Amino acid sequence: MNCQRFESVVGDLARGQMMEADVRSEVLAHTAECSECGKRMRHEELLSQKLRSLAVEMNGLAAPVSIESDLLKAFRQPKNVPAPVVLANHSYRRYWLTAIAALLLIVFSVVAVRWRGERDPKHDAVNRPDPVRNELAVQPKEEKQEQAAVPKKEQPAKPKHRFTSSSLQAQNRPTRNKNNNVVSNHAEVATDFIPLGYMSVASLQEGGQVVRVEVPRSTLVSFGMPVNMDRYNERVKADIIVGVDGMAHAIRFVQEKRVQ
Amino acid sequence: MVRIPCDRIHTGYVTRVRIKESDQQMKPKTELTDSELLQLMLSGDEESFTLLYRRRHGGIYRFALQMSGSQQIAEDVTHDVFLFLMKDGHVFDPARGSVSSFLFGVARNYVLRRFRGEQAIVPLADDDDQQPFDQVTNEPGPLEVLTRTETVENVRRAVLSLPEKYREVVVLCELQEMSYIETAEVLGCAIGTVRSRLHRARALLLAKLRPADEAELANSPAVESARCFA
Repeated sequence: MNCQRFESVVGDLARGQMMEADVRSEVLAHTAECSECGKRMRHEELLSQKLRSLAVEMNGLAAPVSIESDLLKAFRQPKNVPAPVVLANHSYRRYWLTAIAALLLIVFSVVAVRWRGERDPKHDAVNRPDPVRNELAVQPKEEKQEQAAVPKKEQPAKPKHRFTSSSLQAQNRPTRNKNNNVVSNHAEVATDFIPLGYMSVASLQEGGQVVRVEVPRSTLVSFGMPVNMDRYNERVKADIIVGVDGMAHAIRFVQEKRVQ
Repeated sequence: MVRIPCDRIHTGYVTRVRIKESDQQMKPKTELTDSELLQLMLSGDEESFTLLYRRRHGGIYRFALQMSGSQQIAEDVTHDVFLFLMKDGHVFDPARGSVSSFLFGVARNYVLRRFRGEQAIVPLADDDDQQPFDQVTNEPGPLEVLTRTETVENVRRAVLSLPEKYREVVVLCELQEMSYIETAEVLGCAIGTVRSRLHRARALLLAKLRPADEAELANSPAVESARCFA
């Protein structure tokens, strides 16, 4: 036993708590050997004694009889028995108020969104960029990247790679003709735009027009695409991008495909 | 052993309830446990409430008095605790401790609420507070009364001057003579926390009462002791 260990058990010993007999005898032996710990032990015992006397002094104290009679009166009142229900009602009222507020918020949000949605088409008709122009704005960049990656001489070997899923999707969308009412039953499959010459792609960012033309099928050879020689004199459709400078910047070949 | 008519035996749960009910009916109410009295009280039995109040109100009152040092607060807290039991007694969970621990826990909350709400400073010199301690003297000689009252008063002041978290442990463990487990249930903390707080609280009390103790020990015979080499 040392002083540190003594310190941890002195309180329990002074309070008369149960502890192992060995520990108890060791603690008592230590108090006989160590004057400081012996003194501490006596102080602790004196404190326990004083606290006990305080407890004894107060043992006879009790609440006045008037409290009991008040409580009995309260007990007899019927409203005190279902008190939790009163609390529950209060919470339900708060719950319903919250629910109504949330509902109103949702309704106003929906109305606001729909009202804004009604205004948007006019706004969009003026400001929304033309899908074709948008495509023009994006397409040449991709084209440039592809050209940088693939040497031009290898292009004839992989012509089908140009038919990307995005271009197919774009072409398969139902389109409106110039009368603006009839939906076409036809879909088109098109290649990506192929730049004509080494023109600056930056000029296409300013915009341009897509012009649908028909060219001899043999033109495909010029762009490294395979040609069926039995049909070499037929025509194929092509879209040409004409820039703001009036020059043709890119071409793509289009083939009609009936939607199933 | 309670005999149950065959027609009353249904499912296990119902049977158990029947046994409990018949037990309660056969036993006098004074022998019922706190938990059983609480159940009867919540079902509207006034006698059960009276019995439970008379059984437990003294401890609650003394706890509040020892914590606050004010007779008025102690009375209010006792009233509020049993009013709470009347209204919200159904929240008592036997799995979490005894009814007694539950009531002490509620009382502790009310006392602390009073402290927080009123910023109560314990009125040590209040004449009203001296009254309870004077009531219970057993008419010994005047000198003995004076010495004893002075000692007890010093300890009471020392306890009241402790910080709340130490005071409540001293009150519950030392003055209410609760075990560590019961105290931990009341305070809603671990037993180790109770032990360490009590250790610290006793150290603080010793420091506050040391001058008086030194004087008392000086009168007692000295103990021969060697120097501590541990």
